[in-house]
Amino acid sequence: MAHRFLLPDIGEGLEEAEVVEWLVAVGDLVTRDQPLVEVLTDKASSELPSPVAGTVLRLGAAEGERIQVGEVLIEIDDGSDGSQDAPRPAKTPDTTEAHTTEAPAGSQLAAVPLRGRVKASPATRRLALEVGVDLTTLRGSGPGGRISTDDVRAAATPGELTATEPLKSVSRPPISPIHAELGQMKAGRHDLRGIRGVVARNMAQSWSQIPHIHTMDEVDASLLVDFRNRIRSMDRQGADTVTHLVVAAVAAARALRRFPMVNGHVEGDPADTIVIPDSVNLGIAVATQRGLMVPVVRDADGLDLFAMAQAITEAADRARADDLAATDLSGATFTITNYGSLGGRFATPIIPPGQGAILGLGSVAERPVAVGGAVVARPTLPVVLGADHRLIDGDLAEAFRQAVVDDLIEPLHLLVGD
Amino acid sequence: MLQAVNEALHLEMARDNRVVVLGQDVARNGGVFRATEGLFEKFGEDRVVDTPLSEGVIVGAAVGLAMSGLVPVAEIQFLGFSYQAMHQVAGQVARLRYRSQGRFEPAITIRSPFGGGVRTPELHSDSLEGQLANIPGLKVVMPATASDAKGLLSASIRDPDPVLFLEPLRGYRGIKGDVPDNEHLVPLGEARMARQGDDLVVIAWSYLVEVACRVSDALADEGLSVAVLDLRCLVPLDLAAIAAAVDHCGRVVVVEEASQTGGFAGEVVATIVEECFWSLEAPVVRVSGLDVPYPVGMVEDVFVPDEARITAAVRRTLETA
Amino acid sequence: MAQPSDDQLQAILGDMVGARVQAQRLWNLQRQGQVGTLAPIDGHEAAIAATAHALNPEQDWILPQYREPLALQRFGSEVLYRYLLYNIGHPAGSHLPPTVRVAPLQISLATQIPHAVGLAWGMTLQNQPGVVTVFFGDGSSSEGDFYEAGNLAGLLGVPVIFLCINNQWAISTPLHLQTAAETIAAKAAAFGMPGLTVDGNDAAAVYDAVDEARSRALAGQGPTLIEAVLYRLGAHTTADDPTRYVPAEELEAARRNDPIDRLRAHLVEQDLWDEETHADIEAEALARFDEAFDEARATPIAPDAVVDHCTTVDSQRLARQRSLLLGPEEAES
Repeated sequence: MAHRFLLPDIGEGLEEAEVVEWLVAVGDLVTRDQPLVEVLTDKASSELPSPVAGTVLRLGAAEGERIQVGEVLIEIDDGSDGSQDAPRPAKTPDTTEAHTTEAPAGSQLAAVPLRGRVKASPATRRLALEVGVDLTTLRGSGPGGRISTDDVRAAATPGELTATEPLKSVSRPPISPIHAELGQMKAGRHDLRGIRGVVARNMAQSWSQIPHIHTMDEVDASLLVDFRNRIRSMDRQGADTVTHLVVAAVAAARALRRFPMVNGHVEGDPADTIVIPDSVNLGIAVATQRGLMVPVVRDADGLDLFAMAQAITEAADRARADDLAATDLSGATFTITNYGSLGGRFATPIIPPGQGAILGLGSVAERPVAVGGAVVARPTLPVVLGADHRLIDGDLAEAFRQAVVDDLIEPLHLLVGD
Repeated sequence: MLQAVNEALHLEMARDNRVVVLGQDVARNGGVFRATEGLFEKFGEDRVVDTPLSEGVIVGAAVGLAMSGLVPVAEIQFLGFSYQAMHQVAGQVARLRYRSQGRFEPAITIRSPFGGGVRTPELHSDSLEGQLANIPGLKVVMPATASDAKGLLSASIRDPDPVLFLEPLRGYRGIKGDVPDNEHLVPLGEARMARQGDDLVVIAWSYLVEVACRVSDALADEGLSVAVLDLRCLVPLDLAAIAAAVDHCGRVVVVEEASQTGGFAGEVVATIVEECFWSLEAPVVRVSGLDVPYPVGMVEDVFVPDEARITAAVRRTLETA
Repeated sequence: MAQPSDDQLQAILGDMVGARVQAQRLWNLQRQGQVGTLAPIDGHEAAIAATAHALNPEQDWILPQYREPLALQRFGSEVLYRYLLYNIGHPAGSHLPPTVRVAPLQISLATQIPHAVGLAWGMTLQNQPGVVTVFFGDGSSSEGDFYEAGNLAGLLGVPVIFLCINNQWAISTPLHLQTAAETIAAKAAAFGMPGLTVDGNDAAAVYDAVDEARSRALAGQGPTLIEAVLYRLGAHTTADDPTRYVPAEELEAARRNDPIDRLRAHLVEQDLWDEETHADIEAEALARFDEAFDEARATPIAPDAVVDHCTTVDSQRLARQRSLLLGPEEAES
């Protein structure tokens, strides 16, 4: 096979050289270090010696031609199994600064749009995130329309919304690489493979085989937010991992026991079988650097609030760390997607193949709500249920969704038995 | 502070006979500021050496002394003249360990006074710590109190890495305080709260810590609670102390004697943005020297941050909504 | 005045011949893109090898500039391996083991001269016997560090041999544009130390001069400046084209004065050298070179090696930067 001698940078930043004279011809037998060619750079004329012994197979450029550093100068058959001579540069590590501050816990609440012309200090912004106030809805009382922390506190409805613990310095993990790489792809054609390919196939399959219906509503989340804040202030390990997603997961697991058909799915192409599983296994959609992953929390109906919180947190961590085995990703009977953590309100989630329904949660944010004939600002949570219409009709979908929503509106229902 | 420096030198030379002091006028004259007073008489001409007037070889020979296993403490008479030796400081002292991958231990301390307020001729007051901090491999230590001068100098001399120990000229006689007798060590890389406070923190080093404390005390009479954080060391920088102070107060003023552009205060502000962005209630303000070469005596006071300028910056920052 | 013995001259020629062929191989490697910019040793072999043989590797130090290592191998077999690591750009290239009294190469000219003075000074203070020999070129003799160091050395009376290799060229600057002094050795007067010129192509003469300077130094009589006059037969470095400025006739004349040819002729005449010996030495030198080069290329570099040994302990910042190098999964705040 051929040894390809690539034109090296012999002159401290050389980009190209001109071939002045070939000292060998195709077919010649050359020894190691034998001068092969004279090249001219902007600094000097140099003879380049052969790195190997062998027979000249091909000259990479003609006399008088210019050749770029890294291009093949000459090919020599040296009896080896092919190699290149240009020294490979050391793999440069990704030294983009990954240590930046991350918005504090609580950013599952309304993602405050920091673009646009909202003027507010960092401390004000953090408070707004924590109490779920949308800064773009406020008029600032500070100079130049700057929003102050007082403005934010005034906007938060007293009694139903309380800020979380006082600010304290916490160690801040680096921003997830998701943010840096989202939507990035070079122009051109790419193979659809890897996780992207898997997702593509699953989505296409679901979309074409399952007739979806979606039923949506936006529910008053005041009690839910209060419930969550009060749990957070408990001095108990894991209290801060009890999010509204966790509450919804517990509620869904209960509702799935109540309505086993929603836990089932249709099989066959064309469809010929209804499968109703024994256990309730919740798939939790997690956006990771490598794409969407759905780790599974098994026997979810047996988990109480804290156990569910722990299971979901572990699953999400492992998904982001790419630490999931195939078994972790299979066997879900129902899926929950918290698309609201990315800031959305309404969505029409796609049911994963092999399942019959999917619950979607939008973003918790202050929105107008009619109470006693007046419009007030309350935190609300959009909830959508997607269902396979071959299995589940509108009345069942509605009933199931309402069962989940009942627990979200008043989480204390979770303490009451079935 | 001067006595504190002298005490530390005496202690370290007595404790470790590898310590060698070298520089211009350090032996028989005891140093032009008397910082090395008494060392020559006590430890002899082998260990306390009057060198010729050559900053370059003072530092270059220190490298060789360190290569031979000794612990040189070199004096550059005024920090502005370190420019004459910078090729040895940055190209050699700072790199000896790295280049040799640990074969040689550059346990070198370079002491040098700097700083304004004493009407010196050109280049005697220049504040170059920003430039030195950007040289990887060097530690930059700047005591603000007499006690710290002793403790930090002892720690610097014992440190296996090269240390630039910068002493404020104004502080030699102007900074007084209790200094522990006998051995006193202040670890490198730990900042110190010079004043506690809740509303705002002034971050400073060297002589300006003293000035910032006066500002804090005066404002306390008005009911304003202004903390003062004395960095003590620029390299290594106490990131946790800065974060704790800024997270607590939310408002910051950073003061330095050096010219503003490229000065170390910029590094402190960048650190604050990285570590404590979400705690900030107002923009971070720097009070620095002007972007001109260190000026002559009659206009020196306009250059160096004083109580008035620092107070104004503090008030402005407190009033920002 | 000691003369090198026949054994010593043979050993010196062996080192010179080995250095020449190894240098040629190294040049070829540069042209093949395998090593970075380097300074060829052609023409300097006698001055350097003879010096090495006049010193005692067990107690004397050598502070090189950057052209010398191939002819300094008497000071340790590691010298070759480390020089090759240096040339491939490996961080361990300047880490010589504690038993090898050769300092790292210097790129910043003349900066090693004050180090030599300080090192000799420190050795004296600690009653460690030995001399420090510092190599530098004619160009370096114009740098401030040369004068400051020479001045201090004269004052302190330290055991230093200032060994100026005057190869007539500082890249393209000829000697007469470098200094108006009659000789570089003459500058010793300014330092209060003896200075002498010696024919740098005459291995025996260089040996004698260094040996005598060493004896003086060990006897406490202080430093000496030796100017070894020779001619740079090759380019300044692989990035230089000397045909642009070196007069061809001059180079030709210098080639006729090639130090290897001279010493070889002398030893052949004395029946102390023959073609077979020469060929054997060349072959052995190249074999050792190839082995060391392979070893150098196979020497691993840890992903975070670039941040090793800057300070004894990582600062917080550096520790963070180190963990970024080890992978985002290990990054910690």
